[in-house]
Amino acid sequence: MDVIQVERIRKRFGNKDALADVSFSIPKGEIFGFLGPSGSGKTTLIKILTAQLNPTSGQARVLDQPAERMQQSAQKMRFGILTDNSGLYERLSIEENLELYRKLYDLPRSSIDKVLQFVNLSGERKKKVNLLSKGMRQRVMLACAIIHEPELLFLDEPTSALDPVNSVHIYKGLRYLNENGTTIFLTTHDMAEAELICNRVAILYRGQIQAIGSPKELKRQHRENVVCVDLINGEAYELPINEETADQIADWMKQGLIDRLETKEPTLGDIFIKMTGSELL
Amino acid sequence: MSISYKRVRAIFVKDYKEFSRNYAVSIMLIFPVILALLFRKAGSSLPEASGFLFNTSFVILTCFAQACLIAEEKERNTLRSLMLTPATAMDVLIGKSSLVFVMSAVVLAISTFIFGYVPASIWAFVPTIILSIILYTAAGTICGLFSKTLLEASLSILPVAFVFMGAPWGATFVKDYPIFKVLDYVPSSQLVHLLGISNTGYTTGDVLNPLLITLAWTVVLTIVSVVLYQRRLKDE
Repeated sequence: MDVIQVERIRKRFGNKDALADVSFSIPKGEIFGFLGPSGSGKTTLIKILTAQLNPTSGQARVLDQPAERMQQSAQKMRFGILTDNSGLYERLSIEENLELYRKLYDLPRSSIDKVLQFVNLSGERKKKVNLLSKGMRQRVMLACAIIHEPELLFLDEPTSALDPVNSVHIYKGLRYLNENGTTIFLTTHDMAEAELICNRVAILYRGQIQAIGSPKELKRQHRENVVCVDLINGEAYELPINEETADQIADWMKQGLIDRLETKEPTLGDIFIKMTGSELL
Repeated sequence: MSISYKRVRAIFVKDYKEFSRNYAVSIMLIFPVILALLFRKAGSSLPEASGFLFNTSFVILTCFAQACLIAEEKERNTLRSLMLTPATAMDVLIGKSSLVFVMSAVVLAISTFIFGYVPASIWAFVPTIILSIILYTAAGTICGLFSKTLLEASLSILPVAFVFMGAPWGATFVKDYPIFKVLDYVPSSQLVHLLGISNTGYTTGDVLNPLLITLAWTVVLTIVSVVLYQRRLKDE
């Protein structure tokens, strides 16, 4: 069953297409990454999927309902969202912020302890938000987005303000949420992050999807047909994959000369640059 | 559109905590009391004093506080976050307006007591004051929605202050500029008429007209604020 279905969505701002005929679907239980540089239309799409913005044309269904119904309370109970537009109440403590969300979602008190543990902020719960670092604020915003354990989670650049240690903690948490049934729609310009946690990714550039598939599939499709061999004597070769190379490698192996042997696979970043001719910003 | 008491209460409690820690706005609570103390001795020698006290309080407390509460949420993107929770537009608007309503009602009750004003008809006075609080809360919501920052909100209430506080004085110019007769239909002018009714004798029309005109303003401004709120929270 698809949790998100997008069909030929177009969004025009003035005379510029932010999104042009974007179509894709996300099945239940997937972590889907929407990759692209700043201004490529990622946030615009999240806004359309959460009924904050109407598309110029095309249609989308989210959680079995047309996207424009996502502003209904019953639908809002089913998804969580963290965007660069998310905000916190500065004069309130972390706990007081979460208390508001707990009451709005009508959850038990234990949900605050659970989510604070999840974002590694149990010890800081009484701290005022205006005293928090950018990374801690990001984690509090994430806590607000997932306190109700949503079926679908929209994350717009979730680890952009986090250090590597906290990012890894968040990745683990997202995996845990995903294993417990939450479908995750993630936008990022961090290709390593996408490769690490996404089941499938779509590369968006100038409002159009340039490629879609699992990181493994995309890398296979775009890999160069060569094998890299480092010998123990320091010599290094990049050889085409064919019968002749196979014989040569077999000989080196018999003689115990091979130090390192690997196919040359591109990263998602390489694929992005290859497809768009543009560096990620 | 559904309204949830639990969610309204949650927003009310959150706003109360935020407001009580925001000294720049919460200090406005004392101004009506100060005005009441200042005009107390003037009493009957200054018949316009009661009107000035109430109308000024509505603008600098009710309208200003509501505009600041809305504008601050917009400035910090918390209003959009709130709208992405199950809280409906009405939950948010009622929750946010309730705090300003309660504060205004309590402060005005204290100010009225200090000032020593005794209404000729309590049955007309109380509903008019309640309607006025709702009306100025709606005006504050509109000002807040048109502002992007707290600073802009402080400036945006100036037209409200000018029109609503100045309207009762417009009668002075009616002789030279008949157009100013229209200011008589502004709710602040109607409130002055109502407050000026003598204890010794008044007709039903004397109390009903101000009440109905204030009611009409309240309905219109409340509808405008709700529609504007819903439109402002959706990107174009």
